[in-house]
Amino acid sequence: MNDREQQMAEGLVSIFEKVLVAEEKSLQKGYFTKLSLAEMHTLDAIGPYDARTMTETAQILGITVGTLTVAIDRLVKKGFVERKRDEADKRVVRISLTRDGKIAARMHGKFHKVLARHILEPYDDKEQELLLKLVEDVDEYLSTQVARYDSESQLRKTAQDVANDVRRRKSDG
Amino acid sequence: MADKVTKEQIYEKLLNILSEDLSVDVEQITPTLEIRDDLQFDSLELYSFVIDVEDQYGIRISDEQIDRVRTMNDLVDMVYEIVNK
Repeated sequence: MNDREQQMAEGLVSIFEKVLVAEEKSLQKGYFTKLSLAEMHTLDAIGPYDARTMTETAQILGITVGTLTVAIDRLVKKGFVERKRDEADKRVVRISLTRDGKIAARMHGKFHKVLARHILEPYDDKEQELLLKLVEDVDEYLSTQVARYDSESQLRKTAQDVANDVRRRKSDG
Repeated sequence: MADKVTKEQIYEKLLNILSEDLSVDVEQITPTLEIRDDLQFDSLELYSFVIDVEDQYGIRISDEQIDRVRTMNDLVDMVYEIVNK
């Protein structure tokens, strides 16, 4: 790895960890100490204005409905989420945020916005545009990488690709 | 179509919300009162207030709109515009 690659690798990992730590600390020090970060993201996925189905919410979070059910049970008990039957189709159960859930989700959203505002603030218009473009490119690249892991058969293929890459690099080096 | 909600009605409703949901003594409220500074609302109380106003009128108030509101009058004007849009 050359110096730039090293710096980029360390920077990415460090940003990822620090955003998580900052979020966790903001929860611990804030009003919603009862909520874990994963639970806060579940509230985010439901959204303050929507009554979503379990399937929709599970898709947004990229988890199974079974896993989500456990999380929602806990959030209902803690008073942040409620379950209601769909008015039009009584067979469908929709989940939505309670008043406390809405407050928590909006305050957490604000945390992300303030973080973004402070990151952008030191730069002028052009620099901000460039920074956003670069972040978008990194995100896009990472999305393609995540997409490779979408199914188990692809996972095997991906593992195979990685192994081939490593072999190729070794033989090149 | 339903009659337009007046600014006076909105102001009254906001006073109700402040008194009932947030236990604020409405005697101290005036139209020019600054919500954050004079009421000393922190972000939790401010969001509680905004969410109750949203529920009351079935509207959405964005963070950017909240940031622009200083006084009770500002909030009344904003709700009036959103409701009657």
